[in-house]
Amino acid sequence: MSDQMHMHAEHDLAPGDEEQHSVGVRILGYVIGLALALLLTGTSFFIAGTDLVWQPSIPVALIVLAIAQMGVHLVFFLHITTGPDNTNNVLALAFGLLVVFLVVGGTVWIMAHLNANMPPMDQIMRMQ
Amino acid sequence: MSMTATAGRAQADPHHIGVVIEHPGPASKRIVTAYGFWIFLLSDIVMFSCFFAAYAVLSGQTAGGPKGSEIFEQGNVAIETVCLLLSSFTCGMASIAADVRNRFWFYLGMAVTCVLGVIFLVIEFREFADLVARGYGPSRSAFLTAFFSLVGCHGLHVSAGVLWLLTMMAQVFAKGFRADVLRRMMCFALFWHALDIIWVGVFSVVYLLGSGV
Amino acid sequence: MPVVRTVEATMLGKLDWSAIPFDQPIPLVAGAVVLVAILAVLIWVVVKGHLPYLWHEWITSVDHKRIGVMYILLASVMLLRGGSDAIMMRIQQAVAYQSQGYLPPEHYNQIFSAHGTIMIFFVAMPFVIGLMNLVVPLQLGVRDVAFPTLNSVGFWLTATGALLVNLSLVIGEFARTGWLAFPPLSELSYSPGVGVDYYAWSLQISGVGTLVAGINLVTTVLKLRTKGMNYLRMPMFCWTTLASNLLIVAAFPILTATLAMLLLDRYLGFHFFTNEAGGNVMMFMNLIWAWGHPEVYILVLPAFGIFSEVVSTFSGKALFGYRSMVLATMAICVVSFMVWLHHFFTMGAGPDVNAIFGIASMIIAIPTGVKIYNWLFTMYGGRIRFATPMLWSVGFMVTFIIGGLTGVLLAVPPADFMLHNSMFLVAHFHNVIIGGVLFGAFAGFEYWFPKAFGFRLDERWGKAAFWFTFLGFFATFVPLYVAGMLGMTRRMQHYDVAAWRPWMIVAAFGMAVLTIGVVCQIVQLVVSIRNREALRDRTGDPWDGRSLEWATSSPPPVFNFAFNPDVRGEDAYWDMKARAQQQSLEHEVPEYRDIEMPRNSPTGFVCAFFATIMGFALIWHIWWMVILGGLGAFATFVVFAWRDHDEYVIPAEEVARIDRVNLEERRGLVSMAGAT
Repeated sequence: MSDQMHMHAEHDLAPGDEEQHSVGVRILGYVIGLALALLLTGTSFFIAGTDLVWQPSIPVALIVLAIAQMGVHLVFFLHITTGPDNTNNVLALAFGLLVVFLVVGGTVWIMAHLNANMPPMDQIMRMQ
Repeated sequence: MSMTATAGRAQADPHHIGVVIEHPGPASKRIVTAYGFWIFLLSDIVMFSCFFAAYAVLSGQTAGGPKGSEIFEQGNVAIETVCLLLSSFTCGMASIAADVRNRFWFYLGMAVTCVLGVIFLVIEFREFADLVARGYGPSRSAFLTAFFSLVGCHGLHVSAGVLWLLTMMAQVFAKGFRADVLRRMMCFALFWHALDIIWVGVFSVVYLLGSGV
Repeated sequence: MPVVRTVEATMLGKLDWSAIPFDQPIPLVAGAVVLVAILAVLIWVVVKGHLPYLWHEWITSVDHKRIGVMYILLASVMLLRGGSDAIMMRIQQAVAYQSQGYLPPEHYNQIFSAHGTIMIFFVAMPFVIGLMNLVVPLQLGVRDVAFPTLNSVGFWLTATGALLVNLSLVIGEFARTGWLAFPPLSELSYSPGVGVDYYAWSLQISGVGTLVAGINLVTTVLKLRTKGMNYLRMPMFCWTTLASNLLIVAAFPILTATLAMLLLDRYLGFHFFTNEAGGNVMMFMNLIWAWGHPEVYILVLPAFGIFSEVVSTFSGKALFGYRSMVLATMAICVVSFMVWLHHFFTMGAGPDVNAIFGIASMIIAIPTGVKIYNWLFTMYGGRIRFATPMLWSVGFMVTFIIGGLTGVLLAVPPADFMLHNSMFLVAHFHNVIIGGVLFGAFAGFEYWFPKAFGFRLDERWGKAAFWFTFLGFFATFVPLYVAGMLGMTRRMQHYDVAAWRPWMIVAAFGMAVLTIGVVCQIVQLVVSIRNREALRDRTGDPWDGRSLEWATSSPPPVFNFAFNPDVRGEDAYWDMKARAQQQSLEHEVPEYRDIEMPRNSPTGFVCAFFATIMGFALIWHIWWMVILGGLGAFATFVVFAWRDHDEYVIPAEEVARIDRVNLEERRGLVSMAGAT
């Protein structure tokens, strides 16, 4: 292995690759990830079915829990970190998320307005 | 390769204070391959976002057909979710085994991942078949159209993943842990974990939000 | 008899003799002529014994330069096809005043749909992707793109899409629904024929190819740069390539998903965009334009990069405001995802939504304006050489500003309510796409042709081509602006308004001038190939260039650079020349090393073969053939994954032999420069 190869590694890490750890530490990472994911999933399923909490908060709670769980997966399974070796991976992810947000948010927003102003054919028929 | 490549990093100054960092040159093949696949995954997620958006727009359009709360069975969804979560874990174990070139644990991890994936697919297929049999197929209403497409698109990805998984096992069997095989294994792991992330969105938005509200 | 029919339906799906348009002479004759031409070329290739050469050196090649050239060839051929459609439309509108003209409505509708589809997907896209493929690795100072075999797959899938579109000329029909196939017209109930299926499947297949190209080029720019090529030292074309391909990666999945929804509606009775069962037509407009608007920036950003390179080279100055240019490029990359609603202002989203998207659309003009000023300031005080690429660039600036201004006008929702779907709109987007993308593609073609083939193009014919195209363009499209102001809507097969007629006749005349421009370009190519010895570029640097592609020979060796260059600043090659680093390099005897290059692979071609079978079978509902095609494609991938030797070695002596020839030529150049 030449010196040059070390230079690359200092700047860059493949997405999904982790920093050098022993096998035990790596397995532990997955175990923690699995435990957190199961916990969050369980909470989601519990909240969706319960009437112990204020009902209008449920959708918000479900979305927050989903985002949290996605974060857990990204960190523990996909090994995305804030380290300098991950900058490119995180930037690409951020761009992708921005587009996802624009597409979903924009569609919902635009379609809500279109539907309010010009309802689809069958809605008009139902109104009549 | 990445094992030894990262060895020198502990002594490196990560901040390079006051120094213009000269770009060191082309990255290693492992980084290039994984990064390309990472970009592909992002584009795949954008594609899913369109189906999510379509579901959000059409979920109220039941056209006199059933609503989500009338057809979703939380028990099934919970089993599916646990299957996928565990398979993500076993897939992680298989990639560690591949990195340390342990065939036994690699095959075991992949086999369990495969079984869990297949269980997931069987449950989903039975759910779909049951709905179609009751007359609630995708052509019943726009809501069911959006539901079948979003969940089915994820299911198709899982099926493709299972096919890839079996091909990976065959490759390791035939070629051993060659550098290119390891690169593909890394991409497969990324793919499988990403599908799990999509599923988190699916069960939260479609099944839980849909059955509650 | 019924048994026979079932067997036929299983074997051939919807396909039968009625698919061949025996009653329509125009497509039949055109198809026959093309078929004869293709057969003639094939026979010539086989008889002359060129087939092995073609197979080994081009069809199976994974060399980014070869693939780039094939992309551009595909685009040029398709430009002629799309151009003939344009000529037919202009003639129709010139004669169809108070009469039916010579094209029946259903044929006219196919022509304008095919024209738009072909020009965007099979001319503009492959042209810019071809130029990026050809040039970007050279500019970055590396030996290849990130995924060479995948690159070949991407090209061949694009070619498959083009093949399917052209197949519709003789077998069946093409869509009559416009280039974006809006439902409900494109739904099964209103378009029961195979036209929309041809449209959708060819775009799905070529879309996969485009996505692959996008992933490949993003990874190449971000991960494969030579030593010292920091982000802020990359040539402008690499930056715009990065931005454009990021947009491909983020936007093309939206197209794939939207067309998939339309296909599900058509094939399996889903209700995404139908009028019944709660489907929502508007969602199609919304989703398709969420792809469609980034798409126009996918096309024009690389053109901006080409102009940056050309203007800076032919003004003999570094690009003015390099950092602001980078910033403007990336700003366009992000903001282009926030303006898509301006394509359907009139569909009733209401004042607040319209206002926000209108403002965003005007905002995107700002970074574009920054670029225009940067080019002007680059030229200011420079020693400008008006070679053909520079002519195209200056012509672009004039044309594109007019197109951009009419665009800002259309971004004002109240104005758009008057101009939506009028000929004014048609004139506007041709103004930016021809003036921006096509002029850019031609500038890049003239500029990098010597790099790709080792000889320059004839300047006289090049200049003639520019002037005819430039003037012909204005003669064609200014009348369309006027007709739009007079209330003429787009896509009219005939009309009864006397005031429009003179403008349509002028536009048809302009089209004739434009056609002369295209003919000049073909003549230029022929003349240049004949005079190639006189036009030979021996030094590899015919334009006194500034970036690294000029640091290697023309055409470059398969490995591009014997040594990966070491970059110390912007305008890397200019820097080397200025510091006479070349000379010092030449006097040392470099120590050559073995170079590993990727092996050629038929994977791309075989994959496209199966994709063609699958696409055709899907269009005609021949299900056994679909399965066959799918299995074939999967088998191809597995066979590819099973290969043991993916690289071959070029020995150091061979590298030395190739490199020394170029160094000799260059030394001659440097000593000549020293003498003067």
